[in-house]
Amino acid sequence: MALDPTSLAGKKFPLRAVFDHAVVGAGEAGIAAARAAAARGESVLLLDEQPLDPGLIGLDIPFLFGARVGAAAQQPARMEERIVAARPGLEAALEVGVEVVLGVSAWGAFQNGRGGAPFILGLADRSTAWLVGAHRITIAAGARDVVVPFEGWELPGVMGARGLDAAHRLLGDFTGRRVAVVGTGEVSFPDIALRLTDPTELRILGAQEVEGIAWKDGPWRELACDTVVLAIDAAPNVEMADVLGAGIAWDAARGGFVVECLPERVTITGDAAGTTPVMRDAWMQRAFTDPDRMLCACEEVRLGDLRALRPPRYLGAEGPEAGLAAIQAGSQDQVKRLTRAGMGPCQGRRCRDAVQALLGNDPPRMASYRAPLRPLPLSVLAALEEDPALRANWTGWFGIAEQWLPHWEPVPDNAVFIGGRLSEVGK
Amino acid sequence: MIVIIGGGVTGLSTAFWLTRAGHEVTLIEKGIVGWEASGRNGGGCTHPYSPLFAEEQRLWPQMDELLGHPTEWRPCRIKVALDEGQMERLRASAKIATDQGFVADALDAKQLRELVPWVGEEVHGGMFWRYGGHANPQRTSQAYAWAVERQGGRILQHTAALGLVLKGGRAVAVRTSAGEIGCDAVLVAAGPHTGALAEQFGVHVPMAPARAEIMVTEPLPPITHGGVDGNGLYGRQTLRGNLAYGGGPHEWLDLDGSGTPRAENTPVVASLARRLTEMFPKLGHVRVIRSWGGIIENTPDGRPILDRLSDPENVTIATMSSIGFGLSPAVGRALSQLIIDGACDFSDLSQLKLARFGNLPRDWRARQGWVHA
Repeated sequence: MALDPTSLAGKKFPLRAVFDHAVVGAGEAGIAAARAAAARGESVLLLDEQPLDPGLIGLDIPFLFGARVGAAAQQPARMEERIVAARPGLEAALEVGVEVVLGVSAWGAFQNGRGGAPFILGLADRSTAWLVGAHRITIAAGARDVVVPFEGWELPGVMGARGLDAAHRLLGDFTGRRVAVVGTGEVSFPDIALRLTDPTELRILGAQEVEGIAWKDGPWRELACDTVVLAIDAAPNVEMADVLGAGIAWDAARGGFVVECLPERVTITGDAAGTTPVMRDAWMQRAFTDPDRMLCACEEVRLGDLRALRPPRYLGAEGPEAGLAAIQAGSQDQVKRLTRAGMGPCQGRRCRDAVQALLGNDPPRMASYRAPLRPLPLSVLAALEEDPALRANWTGWFGIAEQWLPHWEPVPDNAVFIGGRLSEVGK
Repeated sequence: MIVIIGGGVTGLSTAFWLTRAGHEVTLIEKGIVGWEASGRNGGGCTHPYSPLFAEEQRLWPQMDELLGHPTEWRPCRIKVALDEGQMERLRASAKIATDQGFVADALDAKQLRELVPWVGEEVHGGMFWRYGGHANPQRTSQAYAWAVERQGGRILQHTAALGLVLKGGRAVAVRTSAGEIGCDAVLVAAGPHTGALAEQFGVHVPMAPARAEIMVTEPLPPITHGGVDGNGLYGRQTLRGNLAYGGGPHEWLDLDGSGTPRAENTPVVASLARRLTEMFPKLGHVRVIRSWGGIIENTPDGRPILDRLSDPENVTIATMSSIGFGLSPAVGRALSQLIIDGACDFSDLSQLKLARFGNLPRDWRARQGWVHA
């Protein structure tokens, strides 16, 4: 008998192109990997999501931009020129035959893996999504800013060191004026009004946006500023490695969760493979002071909600009597499902490190990542080319006719499937 | 002592009803309760083709109170049809419910737009099913587990079932990764692993595992009835406002060993987005933020097996054949009666016995096209 037509068997995922090697992220490490692959004679795709979809900047993806990026980011052509100018290695990569695409994000990576078939990468620009094949993948996706949830961290004007670097150096449109820095991390902006290097309690002040910072230095002290930069830690971007099935473990010497083992034909390099030793714990503990402190700003989950394992606010219900202990050293994924911390449109980037620190699992276990690794508009994903056979045989749930007919009656001959279908098959 | 193998909604609900009636229960789960398909599915509570439908409808409005935690259950379903073919299937499906006394109203395009502002100008029409509903699978699974513990039941997570100890045609103990647990009765409700477990005591339960996937958008302002779907998708707007929809091709699997495979996704997630924008063309700007996959099992006819065996006579087998969440309040109650009394007093489950597959050839999966011959 023919294979179940409503199953995935025999369906194709149309690929725009197939490369020997795809490099995700065109920073220094990605450019080097792409050039080296091209030198070995491989066909290479090198992609970078910069210049970013301004919608992602608003969602603080991939960095904490804190609403301090100006309107220049709305002009992709100009931004592309700046990026090429800022990264001279891109020209050199082009010269050795690397296909360079900018303004394209990688939202999915799929193991097509059977019998040496290429990996499938899901890519998207601002208007459409498509797939390419790649026999090898190098992940050079950099690192992201770690948010330490001090009072007021969710105000516009609080950004990460990487967000500031992208806004100031790469996009050239940082809109802050007076900058206070928290932590010892590298900050590319030259004009710093204050830097707090030693872990201490602090409050970020302001009603609608940042107006100042107060910190404990014996007595409380205060400084007016419009931007607070969190330069405490950067966490390696391991999300693509995670969806590809990599082994990921906590390594304090390399910036937190890092890749321990990868599927064959996948490599990880640069900051994505590891950053500097984590410094965040002392700062985190000084931030976990107030049960009302916001942890997950997307879903409005506060410190006290998490400790009580309280269902989200819209339910108006209490958590279990034992609070967090009710799920005995539960993982962050479990806590996420019950409290919604990390389930919002920023895909948990702003709260996952704080929630993980608060749970204090030993050893720490990473909350999982899922495609799409960037929040994509439905219209963009929907534009992906679809195998006509997939559409023609689409069913809402399997294709077993008798499943949808009264179970108290025997299975009829030639039963008609009345579950969900697309009528105008082949259209 | 009744031992339940499997901490999905079927086992959890059975444990809930048994402990509520004062029975001693130990539930063992190889991972975390509700962590597989029970906690990640479309959340639908509308199954008119099941003999447990009336009980499903009776129980859901009470579940928050019975479990002591919110399930996010909400009543009613709205169905969208983009053309007459889809409308016709909605009528056929609704007839199964209306024949049982439930009410379904046809909606013209204008009425549908008033209820679901996301549909387009070209929409054909729809139906308002004044029955059924939807709930939050994660919250409900955990609520069952906490209720079981509150009622004195014991739940052992990260404990795998290895087999049964049989004596005189009865199971006297369950062998687990944490040692033997003596028992008076056993329920095997281990999802896709049920077949392999039953095989060990000589009972053939035909089932085939498969993977399916779902995608989720950012939240939108809630509409009045979030239980709206159609166009080959199942799903809902959650109470938080996210759109969570699945459908489309499944992948038949071969499970190796006792582990459950990773919940992988495929590019089918883009086809889900395409089906959703066909149904709700006004939502093209809304961002997809997540997706997930899950493993479910199907019997050869896609219908449940709910059966207390004759040998070993104190063992009951349960698989819901890939549609278990919504029916879980009712099926748990039915199974608790099968285990204790040998029969269910509120539904006729005689068509769901294992014996209907008595003459099934061993290569049935290949014959049905579910695997390569």
